[in-house]
Amino acid sequence: MHGSLNRAGWRRAAPSLPLGLYLVCWFIGSLLVAFLVIPLIALVLSQAGASLAEVARMADVRDAIALSLEGAALSAAFAALAGIPLAYALARTTFLGKPVVAALVDLPLAVPHTVAGIALLMVFGRQGALGAPLQSLVGLRFWGTLAGIVVAMLFVSAPYTVNAARVGFEAIDPRLEKIARTLGLGPWRTFWRITLPLARRSIMTGVTLTFARSISEFGAVVILVYYPMTAPVKIYELFLRFGVEQAATAAVLLLAVSLALFLLLRTLAGGAAPRENR
Amino acid sequence: MTPAVAVEALTVTLGAFRLGPLDLALAPGELLVILGPNGAGKSVTLEAIAGFHRPDAGRVLLGGRDVTRLPPERRHVGLVVQNFGLFPHLTVAQNVALARRPANSASAPPTGLPPPGDTAAWLDYFGVARLADRTPQDLSPGEKQRVALARTLAAAPALFLFDEPFSALDTPTRDQLCEELLAFLRALALPAIFVTHDCNDALRLADRIVVLRAGALVQNAAAAEVFRKPANSFVARFLGVENILDARMIGMSDGLAMLAVGDRTLRAATSGPAPGGAVRLAVRAEDVAIVPPSDNGPLAAGGNRLAGKITSVRPLGPLVTVAIDCGFLLTACLLAREARAMQIGVGGAIGARIAADAIHVMPD
Repeated sequence: MHGSLNRAGWRRAAPSLPLGLYLVCWFIGSLLVAFLVIPLIALVLSQAGASLAEVARMADVRDAIALSLEGAALSAAFAALAGIPLAYALARTTFLGKPVVAALVDLPLAVPHTVAGIALLMVFGRQGALGAPLQSLVGLRFWGTLAGIVVAMLFVSAPYTVNAARVGFEAIDPRLEKIARTLGLGPWRTFWRITLPLARRSIMTGVTLTFARSISEFGAVVILVYYPMTAPVKIYELFLRFGVEQAATAAVLLLAVSLALFLLLRTLAGGAAPRENR
Repeated sequence: MTPAVAVEALTVTLGAFRLGPLDLALAPGELLVILGPNGAGKSVTLEAIAGFHRPDAGRVLLGGRDVTRLPPERRHVGLVVQNFGLFPHLTVAQNVALARRPANSASAPPTGLPPPGDTAAWLDYFGVARLADRTPQDLSPGEKQRVALARTLAAAPALFLFDEPFSALDTPTRDQLCEELLAFLRALALPAIFVTHDCNDALRLADRIVVLRAGALVQNAAAAEVFRKPANSFVARFLGVENILDARMIGMSDGLAMLAVGDRTLRAATSGPAPGGAVRLAVRAEDVAIVPPSDNGPLAAGGNRLAGKITSVRPLGPLVTVAIDCGFLLTACLLAREARAMQIGVGGAIGARIAADAIHVMPD
């Protein structure tokens, strides 16, 4: 017997596949899952606990990981701040050139990250169109600073927040917002009390992806900033100077920290999601 | 007397769609149903009254107050939509508490009702206090309707708007909720506008029916009149009139209109249009009385007597509809018990009678 009865007594049918298709899907699917997981497991298994503790005590590795987390947190915060309004506009309005704007948002996903780094250098670098005036006017510098790291991270990871939030907003029945208005809530209160909470889960998923993508960013960061070193840059440097052994130990450390944070954020994002109201 | 709600020459343009100019008026406590097919502009009308579309022209007045330029949150209208639109991220009590009590409500709350903004009292009034901490997903349709009504009333609306709240429900639930809603609306004595494409909902609920087609008003009359005297064949078809016949006006005789349908002549109780004019006739199947083929009994004054052959018999549970070829095709409806007693069968000869006042003449 498939399905179960919920409290209201309606039957929810469990989706089922024909047995042959089911087995083929699982076989092919598990190959991909294995491909994704085995290298990470091999990396972790290569490390003895002692050398891990030793690297964890190295100040420069610790600083690099902390810098990565700081930069990624700021990048995620900016992505949310600027991305949520853009996502709402894309979800709820139609305007000339909307497909173009939607495509532009996705563009960084298609640009190789070293290319992104060079492009950012043109704008935010020493002689850049924004870099030079911001330096001379307000003293904001993007080379060799956290600001530069955040800019590089944001460029490559902001689309995740915009796209996820947009999907979340699009899934909300506009009539719920209309009802809120007739109940006496103005447009801003309606957004805060109804729209944003209903899209919360999608937004959190997007911000989590932006955060994770920011931590892992190497190409754009290394070209725009290099020093101070984020964790991926530090690992690359260890690899060049001391070989794979040293680099692998630091890599496992970064992997452990970012996986733990990723799982934590995923759990927070998934909590108490409102189901579709039927 | 000032109408509770007045819509005056309202015109709304949305892309290629144009609504109006539309005039509506509701007396206090009156229930108006806007009926029409998909795309007729029913929901646009409702949303324009609620303040979601800026009209090109015209006014919306609630209790004499011109609200045409007010945003929805300041109009004091209540909106109930399909599936009742409860906020899924809030509990039942939070849904009702969200309603903001207007600072100076335009209309005093009817006596015997809880004060606006009193969440617990409103949940109690609708008998759903025990559901206060539940989430909307766990409620039955009946419970959702009661919570939606409590939430709407807690905001002290001057007008109720319903946008097809029952369209996703099965027939028994729909019937039950319809009855319950009607009882509440009668008790509350608030004017209400109900949008639907279902003529059964319309006839059951409405004091007055407005029929819309492609953004234009086709008929605006008391429910019984729309049912008995549809303005044209579009309204007649929409209200499920089985026989819509092309006819030609011949002239008047003994105060009755003589109408040619095929090679037959029918008499209808109407002053009628000019002779020679093409008209359409609406005859409800239940007004076609089936009689034995040998029928030659006395005919009531102005009655029509027809004879023909049965071309099809369709059982509908307790009823049977019979199609009769009597020069033109006529559909009649009788009780299944009667059909058995008369041994109705395809190919059989049969007689039919139609009273003159059961034939409604329409211009098109």
